[in-house]
Amino acid sequence: MTSVLIKGGRVIDPHSGTDRVADVLLDGGRIVSMGARGVGRVGPASGTRVIDADGCIVAPGLIDPHVHLRQPGREEAETIATGTAAAVAGGFTTVCCMPNTTPVLDNDSMIGAIAHASRESGVCRVFAVGAVTKGRRGEELAEIALMARAGAVGFSDDGDCVASAGVMARALAAVRATGRAFMQHCQEPTLTRGASMHAGSVATRLGLGGWPREAEEIIIDRDVRLNRSIGCAYHVQHVSSGGSVEIVRRARREGQPVSAEAAPHHLLLTHELVDSHGGYWTSAKMNPPLREAPDVRAIVEGVADGTVGVLATDHAPHTAEAKGLPFEDAPFGIIGLETAVPLYVEALITSGAIGWPRLIELLTWAPAKLCGLDSQGLGHLTVGGPADVTIIDPNLEWTIADSDLAGRSRNTPFVGRRVRGRSITTIVAGSVRHEQARC
Amino acid sequence: MAGGWSHRHLLDLQSLSPDELRAILFLARDYAPIADRADAHSDELRGKVVANLFFEDSTRTRVSFSVAARRLSADVVDLMGPGSSASKGESIGDTALNIAALGVDLIVVRHKASGAAANLANIVTCGVVNAGDGRHEHPTQGLLDTYTLAEAAGRLDTFDMSGLTMAIVGDLATSRVARSNIAALTKLGARVICVGPPGLCPRSLRTLGAADGSCEVSHDLDAVIAHADAVNVLRIQFERHAPGVPAAEAAAAARSGESPGPARTGGAVSSGREYRELYGLTAERAARMKPAAVVMHPGPINKGLEMDASVADGARSVILRQVSRGVAVRMAVLRLCAAAATA
Repeated sequence: MTSVLIKGGRVIDPHSGTDRVADVLLDGGRIVSMGARGVGRVGPASGTRVIDADGCIVAPGLIDPHVHLRQPGREEAETIATGTAAAVAGGFTTVCCMPNTTPVLDNDSMIGAIAHASRESGVCRVFAVGAVTKGRRGEELAEIALMARAGAVGFSDDGDCVASAGVMARALAAVRATGRAFMQHCQEPTLTRGASMHAGSVATRLGLGGWPREAEEIIIDRDVRLNRSIGCAYHVQHVSSGGSVEIVRRARREGQPVSAEAAPHHLLLTHELVDSHGGYWTSAKMNPPLREAPDVRAIVEGVADGTVGVLATDHAPHTAEAKGLPFEDAPFGIIGLETAVPLYVEALITSGAIGWPRLIELLTWAPAKLCGLDSQGLGHLTVGGPADVTIIDPNLEWTIADSDLAGRSRNTPFVGRRVRGRSITTIVAGSVRHEQARC
Repeated sequence: MAGGWSHRHLLDLQSLSPDELRAILFLARDYAPIADRADAHSDELRGKVVANLFFEDSTRTRVSFSVAARRLSADVVDLMGPGSSASKGESIGDTALNIAALGVDLIVVRHKASGAAANLANIVTCGVVNAGDGRHEHPTQGLLDTYTLAEAAGRLDTFDMSGLTMAIVGDLATSRVARSNIAALTKLGARVICVGPPGLCPRSLRTLGAADGSCEVSHDLDAVIAHADAVNVLRIQFERHAPGVPAAEAAAAARSGESPGPARTGGAVSSGREYRELYGLTAERAARMKPAAVVMHPGPINKGLEMDASVADGARSVILRQVSRGVAVRMAVLRLCAAAATA
């Protein structure tokens, strides 16, 4: 493996509080040195690859704790190979995949199978989130302890909510014993039967079943209350409503072990998008649904004040055939890995909500802590630690094009959007896995 | 060509202007004399092919479109859901592309999913007429209801509906008929009052009016009945509230006074007895309507539940006139869309 010298970039490592111009030398898959600018100029060994990072941000490799890689079972939409290609194209060096595959990741051998397939075909690191209940049916607990031992980095029935309070209480206790986080897909199912978009004026006009905010909020409320006597690390996935942000804020203020994540689309888009592009636009159909402008503002404010402490794309690939069905029949979800960084920049930095060091923290140290990856040296830059590095040009302006999508599916509403900021080099374990020309 | 029409599709009424609505209604008025007569027809669509692509059961709407097309001398092909490729797993888009490739000029489509007609229109190059998509719209029903009210109220000369009030009663939440009626009537100046139990008639329907205050919601039929120029009673769509329960079975249970139960109506109606007591158009209620007010129903009727048989067949009823005006309206729609599709 050749060594790599990253020269002259603004090194931001939120965990150590580093934010200065420095050179970073990688060798043997590890970070060898991080020094003042110019140190590296003296003696890069011959054969060292030099990357000029002038004007760029040099960050720990980005981590997305919530993606769908569709393998096994839906390989026509995405695989570990194509999904990780999308990840490195977007600057991510680690992704955590959700267990709603076919079969479901609900036992230790399935967790092992994902690890094996990732070593065989992945171009970035992949960790699996295990299912909470067998078959994600919400009835019997899955083999949570064995999955944790096999490397599951969290537990979720994502795509479905653990709706039964009785099952939930047992699940929180079981997950707490593993030391991992419980990641809840907050959706009270009897309030969302037949629903395909936010319950609001657009749904009324289009004759689509409405999905009320309360479906999300009452589950968070219930879970926080249940968890008081249990104390599991409880994580709210893809928060979509302003009310949810407020419930999480209150619980955190009380000292509850509660966290929340937000996705790019919920930080930028609203339900009117469904009635665009000829109407019934399936690229605007996601679960939870796009809501209204005050919700978007509340989620951005939640990020600004620390209530929402993790960012996650909920990368959800679907084939053109599936997304080409009539709106109500089409599946929920959009892809997100390739386009995430500039969208976070637009929603959070351009808007003035946070600055670059905080954004990097939300994309590195925070998800590493959530998934226990910090103990493996991920999510921060340390001499001797894994050489996962993402280099971002914060000022690069570009228009998202179909050709920028590196995964197998194309279901995104963001193609054609003019954006700013882009990851230009993605390095996993010291090896350059993606490079983007800066023009 | 009637002024102001340039669309090869008719997908909804919400996006049409009052002039576009009138373009259809005026042409329907011209066709009305031949719509009811089997021995009269026009040659205007000779050589054109109209395909009825119905993914959902329907008899009257499909037959009405067929009769309308034949009155204009078009060829008609019927493609039903069961037995067609739709029942073999082919997507609606692929089915439509295959039909369009046969040289069809217009596809008349009905589908259980809201937005299905728009989805199809994005895929095929021929014209698409929405004959009902899920809970979204049933534009030709909205037009024929508007036409029938205009005729009863003596407004056929202008289709200016201002000053008129239609009460739409019953199951509006899942009703595409209601959405199309509200759009057409409020755009032409009428007022609509949506009446029904909260579960079937949510307050959010108020947002559907073309102007503020033009669409209201009430849960009290007795307070509304004396103020309406037309009472348009909708069928309770048991099949949409409780998928899997045969509509006829649920309706029979409700009519007999037995509770249809939460499993049968999704909890929207607690019993047929309560529904009829509060929202049924009984003979007593019909007697309190304005002298010239009319009773409408898009059919099929759950007689004895949402409407008494004596009212459905009584002097105020224009239900059969709706059926015959439906042919005239559909002739106008086919004619206008075919012309735009050819242009």
